[in-house]
Amino acid sequence: MMKKLSLIVLLLAIPQFARADSQWVLAQSTLTYHVTHPLHEVDGVSKAAKGKGVCHAGQCDFLIAAPVKSFDSGDSNRDLHMLQVTRGGEFPMVVVRTQLPEQDSASADIKADLTIQFAGQTVHYNQVSFHAAKQGNEVHITGTIPATVSDFKIDPPKLLTIPIKNEIPVKVDMAWRQQ
Amino acid sequence: MNSLAAKAVLCTIPLLSSISISLRAQADSSLSGTITGASGKPLASARVSVKNLTTGQSTTAETSATGTYYLSGLAPGDYEISVAALGFDVKTGRMTLAAGGAQTFNATLTASLTPGQETEPSLSDLGFSPSQTKGTPEYQALLDRRSHMLQIHQRLGLITTAPLIATLFTSPGAKGHHGMPGPASGRELHAALGATTAGLYFSSAYFAIRAPKIPGTQAHGPIRVHKALAWIHGPGMILTPILGGIAYSQLSNGERVHGIAKYHSDVAAVTAAAYGAAIISVSIKF
Repeated sequence: MMKKLSLIVLLLAIPQFARADSQWVLAQSTLTYHVTHPLHEVDGVSKAAKGKGVCHAGQCDFLIAAPVKSFDSGDSNRDLHMLQVTRGGEFPMVVVRTQLPEQDSASADIKADLTIQFAGQTVHYNQVSFHAAKQGNEVHITGTIPATVSDFKIDPPKLLTIPIKNEIPVKVDMAWRQQ
Repeated sequence: MNSLAAKAVLCTIPLLSSISISLRAQADSSLSGTITGASGKPLASARVSVKNLTTGQSTTAETSATGTYYLSGLAPGDYEISVAALGFDVKTGRMTLAAGGAQTFNATLTASLTPGQETEPSLSDLGFSPSQTKGTPEYQALLDRRSHMLQIHQRLGLITTAPLIATLFTSPGAKGHHGMPGPASGRELHAALGATTAGLYFSSAYFAIRAPKIPGTQAHGPIRVHKALAWIHGPGMILTPILGGIAYSQLSNGERVHGIAKYHSDVAAVTAAAYGAAIISVSIKF
């Protein structure tokens, strides 16, 4: 009888535990990758990222995603080539996940462990630094993800048979709104 | 007299109708309020629906950026109110609206989670459609084929510059001196290099023209300049060998170059310049 009662109490409690305490929504974002080539310095920009953060028991799970084809480097031919080398036809999204303590939203400096799915690979970046600034009802986050083409097993694109540099840092500029 | 009575009746009907409408408007109720999230922040675009439990009639409104809504023209009676917003649990309530009253219904919504998902959001939570998040091997194969063909185009295009420059350098030897025909060997070398240039050029052009087009993409940026310049060096690469062939024939017959063949070197120079500009347009950022 006690077992049954405990089970009923537990079942009733599960939805309450599963309920999020608060949510964050990505209000605005600019993601910029930088490619270096002896003849070129190229920036590819996407403003199409969407993101959500769900906080529960003091921890927030964040998910940010952007279509690979949404990055615009100012030249459609280069963008299509980037889409091809990053296998964007098969893996059309770049997805970033991270988990942060809820109290970090009030900090000016955030160190985040990122899991990035891109080009069919999943790569972890530990302790990536971001700067956070509260602006009205939004938190403005800026930082750079130290990505490289070799991390994602991407064959470096070549121009005039010369490959690009391995480093492709991704600048992040996001505004998050708590709901 | 009857006519006067009829006129009076006709005038009275709209008057009575307007009084009736006015009285009804006065009897209707309104409902307003503010919808917030668990953190107390207002929720924009939340959907507030009210259902008259007597008539079954429903009316809906969306909250503004400040989380407020306003519903008017509601008949007095019992109502079921439901508030829904993307990512939040639906909140319902009941309220009795009195005739002519302005009442308030505020609600605080709790963030919802997909069962079994615990707290982690998913791509569908972000509003991406399956067509955006699912790739296809066919689309990747099309991109691969396009890139492969354009890489061959690029390589052949670069190789073409070598015989092209050599052809330009051997041009004086083919012309001769002071308008008189030079030695046949100079002409033959120039012609051979020109033929090699044209052969490589058209091979390169084939791969650019036959590379598959990617649906839904529009050319922008320096690639447009690169493509536009092809309208100059393309016809130039056809015209130059034709004029060169005529000039070769004239010189081989001991004649001076004359007629349209005189323009061979001018057309070749413009073609080479456009070709060089086409390479630079996609090589150097400006």
